[in-house]
Amino acid sequence: MIIDVHAHWGPWFFTGLDTSNLTVMDRYGIDLAIVSATEAVTYDPAAGNRALARFLATAPDRLLGYVTVHPRRLDEAERDLREFLPTRRFVGAKIHTDYTGSPIKSPQVRDALTMLADLDCPTLVHTWDTSVLDLAQHCADLPRLRAIAGHMAAGGYRHAIAAARSCDRLYLEPSWSHGLAGRMDEVLAAVDPRQLLLGTDATLIDPAATFGILAAARPTPETAERIAWRNAADLFRCIE
Amino acid sequence: MPDPFDPRPLLDGLTVSVDIDVLIGQFPDRPGPSGDPAAVRAMLTDRGVTGAAVADLRAALFDLGSPAPFPGGIAVGTLDLRDPIGSATHLEGLISAGIRAIRFFPDEQGVQPDFPAVRHLARLAADAGLILLSGGDVRRFWRPYAGLDATVVFLDTHFYHLGDFLLVAADEPGFHTSTRLLTSPDGLEQVTARVGAQRLLFGSRAPFYEPYVPLLRLATSALSADEKRLVAGGNAGRLLGVTG
Repeated sequence: MIIDVHAHWGPWFFTGLDTSNLTVMDRYGIDLAIVSATEAVTYDPAAGNRALARFLATAPDRLLGYVTVHPRRLDEAERDLREFLPTRRFVGAKIHTDYTGSPIKSPQVRDALTMLADLDCPTLVHTWDTSVLDLAQHCADLPRLRAIAGHMAAGGYRHAIAAARSCDRLYLEPSWSHGLAGRMDEVLAAVDPRQLLLGTDATLIDPAATFGILAAARPTPETAERIAWRNAADLFRCIE
Repeated sequence: MPDPFDPRPLLDGLTVSVDIDVLIGQFPDRPGPSGDPAAVRAMLTDRGVTGAAVADLRAALFDLGSPAPFPGGIAVGTLDLRDPIGSATHLEGLISAGIRAIRFFPDEQGVQPDFPAVRHLARLAADAGLILLSGGDVRRFWRPYAGLDATVVFLDTHFYHLGDFLLVAADEPGFHTSTRLLTSPDGLEQVTARVGAQRLLFGSRAPFYEPYVPLLRLATSALSADEKRLVAGGNAGRLLGVTG
């Protein structure tokens, strides 16, 4: 069993990105992917969330959804969360800080995370460099918040290690188009394996990026199982 | 439970005869591997990479000197874009020594594509029939190499910029790209469909980047077995004049 906690559904604006979710998943034996709508992430959360809901209504059950939350449009976000989370085809929320112009330390993101914590909704947040430390601070301040540091801060992965060590409700997933050698080894050595998840950023990034660094890092069988699916199943309660 | 991250089933026996982007030495401004040649060789061997075009960071960052030895590797000469006069002289020595490829490190040397040194040294290298391995953003670094009838391998082509590479590659038959950052689900297939698999060269930037990443991307791609062999060393062997 392999669960990808960071995936997308929908078209991208870069040249030639048109491989379907299931095709990408099948290349690597990914059984289940949790996707956000690219339209929701990059342009219009309300329209994208609805498009994804329509797609998931007839899509294979290998795909589950994130409700994309725009921190500066919280009324819309709360409406979408209350509409889509009860369907159980949506199992979490996604916040992209760059596309929404909302730094993690901003009061708008804090308000969004407060709402999501109150809803007991696991939340994937785009993190880059030092911003993961701000996410850890939100986790410390909001006792019910369970957050995934998307990309585990990319080149700032050492900040992600520090962040994860400061709060056991902060999870890391390693997707990044740059397969920096040794990055995953350091994370495995320093972070509780119960806080590690598998994310790919497909269909933007091929799972080769994540699988390649995990292949090199060679986690123990127990940790590999936790990363591959067990932690995600516990976090999202998505395996009946 | 089988190891979900065992690469062998995905690789299906794919190996690489030439990795076009391997470094020895180290970066003084960042943590990372020492770049010791024996350790780099061990990393490549473990990943199934049997041959490599190897450049030396000491040459790029401090002293051009002579290409450092790397047993079993193809030595890549380095020029310093901060010193076009001295590098032109150095290039003559590299040519006399039989070097087949040189590498530009514009990012590491703080050089922009419109600096006169870039086009000047590229022209000298092209006129000598050398292969130019170039770092830098392909959207800007195509320009100093255009119109020189140069054979260039862009080492930093990110899939975000693939459309621009394809545009310039259509006009410049000598333009090639490394696979290192073509980590989208479609990048290798796009290059193959539009300009041909002969323009793709496996590159990893070991030991700083993980070779399994481009290796898995290639192995799981929709390229045919023959196309994969070209990418995995056939093209590099042809350009560098070695059998893969």
